[in-house]
This record gives sequence, structure tokens and C-alpha cells, in this order.
Amino acid sequence: MSQGALDRETLAGLADVLIPAADGMPAASEAGATREWLDEVLRVREDLESPLRGLLERARGADPAGEVERLEREEPEAFEALSTAVAGAYFLNPEVRGLIGYPGQEARPIEPEDPPDYERDGLLASVVERGPIFRPTPESRTG
Amino acid sequence: MPDPDVLIVGAGPSGAVTAKRLAEDGFKVTVLEQGDWPDYGRARAPHPDYELTSGQYWAWDPNVRRGPGDYPIDESESDIIALMWNGVGGGTVVFAAHWQRNMPSDFCVRTLDGVGDDWPLSYEELEPYYVRVERDWGVSGLANDTAFPPGEGPPMAPVPLAPMGRRVARAHNELGWHWWPAPNAIATRSYGALKPCVQRATCLWACADGAKASVDRTYWPANTSNGVELITRARVRRLLVRADGLVDGAEYLDADGREHVQRAPVTILCANGIGTPRLLLLSDDGGLANSSGLVGKRLMLHPFGTVTGLFDEQLESWQGVWGQHIHSLEFYETDEARGFVRGAKWGLQPTGGPLSMTRPYPWGAENAVWGEGFHRELRRRLGHSAMWGIIAEDLPEESNLVALDPEARDDYGIPGAKVVYTNSENSQRMMAFHQERAKESLLAAGAYDVIVAPFIDATGWHILGTCKMGDDPASSVVDPWGRTHDVPNLYVFDGSTWPTSSGMNPTATIAAMALRFTEHLIEQRRDQKGPG
Repeated sequence: MSQGALDRETLAGLADVLIPAADGMPAASEAGATREWLDEVLRVREDLESPLRGLLERARGADPAGEVERLEREEPEAFEALSTAVAGAYFLNPEVRGLIGYPGQEARPIEPEDPPDYERDGLLASVVERGPIFRPTPESRTG
Repeated sequence: MPDPDVLIVGAGPSGAVTAKRLAEDGFKVTVLEQGDWPDYGRARAPHPDYELTSGQYWAWDPNVRRGPGDYPIDESESDIIALMWNGVGGGTVVFAAHWQRNMPSDFCVRTLDGVGDDWPLSYEELEPYYVRVERDWGVSGLANDTAFPPGEGPPMAPVPLAPMGRRVARAHNELGWHWWPAPNAIATRSYGALKPCVQRATCLWACADGAKASVDRTYWPANTSNGVELITRARVRRLLVRADGLVDGAEYLDADGREHVQRAPVTILCANGIGTPRLLLLSDDGGLANSSGLVGKRLMLHPFGTVTGLFDEQLESWQGVWGQHIHSLEFYETDEARGFVRGAKWGLQPTGGPLSMTRPYPWGAENAVWGEGFHRELRRRLGHSAMWGIIAEDLPEESNLVALDPEARDDYGIPGAKVVYTNSENSQRMMAFHQERAKESLLAAGAYDVIVAPFIDATGWHILGTCKMGDDPASSVVDPWGRTHDVPNLYVFDGSTWPTSSGMNPTATIAAMALRFTEHLIEQRRDQKGPG
């Protein structure tokens, strides 16, 4: 993979249209989503490189906002590759994950409760009190 | 090697249950599986790149995945794309583990609602088999759900309700609607080969933690220890048919394309609702066991919808089980005043991590996050959302079908499958009704906004009905015990046999039916016809 050939300047323009700086959050390019974290994305998602390279060639010199709008409208597959790569890279950045309060898919063992909360506080009681809600097997089929 | 007593094609759930029970009774069993063992080294749930990578190796669509066990499926004339895992474990490797028994009415749809067909058995007849496979499988849940006849429940306590489940449960209590702690094929404590769930909510892309009861974990290692011969990368090209009409095993190709013949006095197809009819249509010069003309027809795929609620409360809804925390069967039974017959099941699920918050599904392309409002919208969704997954019963129609693809072939030159399926008017009305009720559910639970997902085609996890079971050879492919009417030593034990689809996730019933079929085959062994 010839990373050096990727037009990161053009990519940064597009990426910051998708994820701009706002609400205390960095823009995509500020967060490394077009540099080191993008490299990480392309390491595990080689399939994204070719469409990314293609759309960057077509976008060179164009107005980034207009180009993002055009891609979304006319080239949905290319837009999907761009948005996946950029957002995927953005969310790999630990600082971004910290800012949005997302620690990853953590291992949180189930704490056995006896009795479980829905029995302790009676949450299930009204369902039980209402009784069966199914239609029984007709007598003609019970043999 | 001497020939086995029984040849099984397919190492998914029905093949697993069948092989286990046969081996327990001393049968010598060989299983041909076209795919390989799943590589859990590629289950990335604990890693930061999980959301980026999970849809690659673990993709549900074989046309996307193109794994070693996959064959092409032409879906250009289908409203729904068939999803599957072609390898040891079958669909259970990537299923959501929703373990739903069918309800009593599912077995008598014709009698009760005047549509479809009755099954040749009742809920009460199948109930003991549910209980047994739930123990074998490793299922968690709570007995005496009011949507089912009372009786013995699963062996493990249910997964926690989670904050989202408690909210919605309270709302349903206020509405007077059914809910229940959901049944899942997920271990909530150490259980046989399973470890307790750690609630990463990544069940749909293989469980990296060994807690989801997929049969590659719960059945196949024990089956092979018990003498079952499991041959992977064995792609069956056709079943062998003798001059007297009996089946004499199968011809298959190994990973290198070398041809092999595996003979057996009894052959059982467990290759799913597309793979099984495909094999029958590939055999005997244009169709085996097809005097009814129904092989491949009556395909049912369960139209699927989701409704997502947005909440102020932090629910950490990227965690939990996926899986379902609670389920509701409030609107499962027919009420003709609604403008359709039959119903749907709801399962309450997480919504995923941050990358999932940016996808067109289930959020809708019109609600795209990109641009100025990106961070605000992400914060609205991430951790603050809960989703009802809605599985709608579709009725059997002969125009919905699986055929051989006249053009596409797999890597070994075997014709692929072609699926023709139209989402019916009844199904569309049903889904629209259920989506409206699901919106009411989430709003009552405190959601300040609800989003109905756009219809997408990539939801065909449940592939049913293509070798209908029944008493009459003119209107069914197999008899009530899974034996083909036309060929007395050929059986179908998978979901192909379903006369109607129910509105439930089907694995529980596929497993229970496979056990029931198998025990009947064992009981009838002295009368079994076979070559030699």
C-alpha cells in the first residue's frame, strides 16, 4: 500500500466537511482522522483504499463541501467508503472516544441477582396478573 | 472407512442436533459441511477497530462475504436478501441468539386464521423437545411467559433487563401491554462449553467471549468426540440416486476440487432453506423428491423492521446483549380489525457504538449526521437509544421461491441459487401497524423522538418453507417426520420443512423439530428402507 500517494490534503478538506470542529469536538483532520488513524483504518480495511483513492483523484481542486454533496448524491458507494474511513478513523482516536464517553465494547460480567430486580420491585407482577395472552391450541387439534 | 449409517449434509443447528442424537444412540454418522470452522481470532469485539472490521469476515450476506463455503445467490428478483453463515455452526455463528419458541397458534394457522397451512403437530407435542434442546443448547430466560402455555423454562436465568429494558417494561405496564425478560441462547453463567456473557453486545458478529450458544461451540466438539465424522470444505454437488429411486449418499468436492463419493443408507439434508432445495434441484437430472413440484417454493424470509427511540437518559446502549433484553408479543396474535392476518414479535436491542450511529440504517438517510450537526446528533444517539427489532410473519406463496441460477456458478462450477421473493401486501400492512405500535411503546417509555428505519433488503436471516412438511404427497415435500414422500431414505430436518413461518426467530423450533424428527427416525430404524 503506497500511503504516500494518497492525497491527504484533499481528503482533509472532505473529512472536515463531514466532521467539522464544533461543540468542543475537534474536526476530523485535527483528530488525525486523515493521518495516523486513517492508516490504522486502511490496515484493517484494505477494501477502502481503492475507492478512497479514486474519489480523491476526482475531488482534487474541487470545493470540498460541493464535492461531498455531489458524492452523497451521485456516488453512494464512494460516499460510503469516504464516510466509513473518516468516521472510522475519528473514532479510533482515544481522545475522541474519551470526549464522547465511549470506552469501547467493555467486558461487563453479569452480576447474578437473586431475586432479580423485576421480581424485587414487582415490575413483572402486572404482566403475570393479566394472565395468558396466547390463543390456545384448538380442541380439534389436541387429539 | 466403512460407510456411515447416516449421512448429514450441513453442520448448522439442525445438523448439530441430529448428529448428536444419532450418535448417542450408536449410529455411525458422517457430516459433510461445505464451509470451515469459524475463526474466532477474527472476532474483534474487545478491540477499537471492532465496528470497522466486524462486517468483513463475519458479513451475513454470502455474496459480500464470499467465504470458502459460500455459493452465489442471485437476488435481483427478491425484495429481501438471504443471509446465512456457510460453515460449522451455520447461522448460529452470526445469529442474534433470540431464542423464541413458536406460540400455539403458529401450529394451526389454517384452523385459526384461514390462511397458510396447519403444521402436522401442535405446540403441546413439540414442547418437551423445546425443553430438552434448551438444556442441550444453553438457553437463558424465565419460565411461564404469559405468551406461552405454562411449563418448564430454560436452564439459565435471563440476561439483565438493562436500563433500556426497565424503561420499556414500565411503559408496557402502564399501557397494559405484554413484555417478558427475553429468552436468549446466551449463557448467563458458566454452562457446559459456554462462558458467562460479558455484555459486549456484539453477538451478531460472532461472540469473541464464548458466551453465545452457537452450535460450533455447544454441539460440534462434543459430537466429534462422540464419534461423529465431520468433514469440512466438502461441497456436495449432487445426491446419488439409484435405479430403484433410493438415495445412496452424495457426491462432493473437497477444497482442492477433488471429487469424492460418500455412500450411506440414510441421507438427511440440513443445509438451510436455500441450500437444501438447491441440492434437491441439483440431483436426479432436474429435481429429486419433487413430485409435488414444491421443492424450492413457498419461501418465507420474515420481513424485518426496527423502530429506535432517543432518550435523555444515559442508557449506555452500546453494551448489553444483541440478543434482546426484553421481548413483547402483545400484537402477535391475529386481529383482523387491523387489516391483516397474523402478527410479529418484538425484541428490544442495543444500537451499537459510535460508527453505527453514523450509518443510514437504522437512522435513515434523511437523518444523516454529517456536517454542522455531527457532534450534536452523535451525542443524541450514542448511548441514548434503544431499538425494537420487529420480525413479521410472512405467509407461504408459491411465487416466492428458490431455483437454480441458470448462469452463476460457484468456484467449483456448481450452479448457484436464485431467489424470487415479493414482500406481500399483508406483510407490508403488518409491518406498518407494528412500527406504529412500537413508536407508541418507546414514546411511552420516555423517548423524546422515535425513528422508523427505512425498509432495507438485507434482513433475510430466516429462510423457511422451501420443502413443505405435510401429510399429502401432492401438496408437500416431506411427511410429518421429515422424510421425503418420494424417497424413503431421504430426509429434510431443517427450516425448509416449515408449513408457515411464524413470526418468531426460528432457531428454537428448528432445533426442537430436528430432535423430534431424529427420535422418530431412530424409533423406526427397523423399518427404514435403504440401499443394500
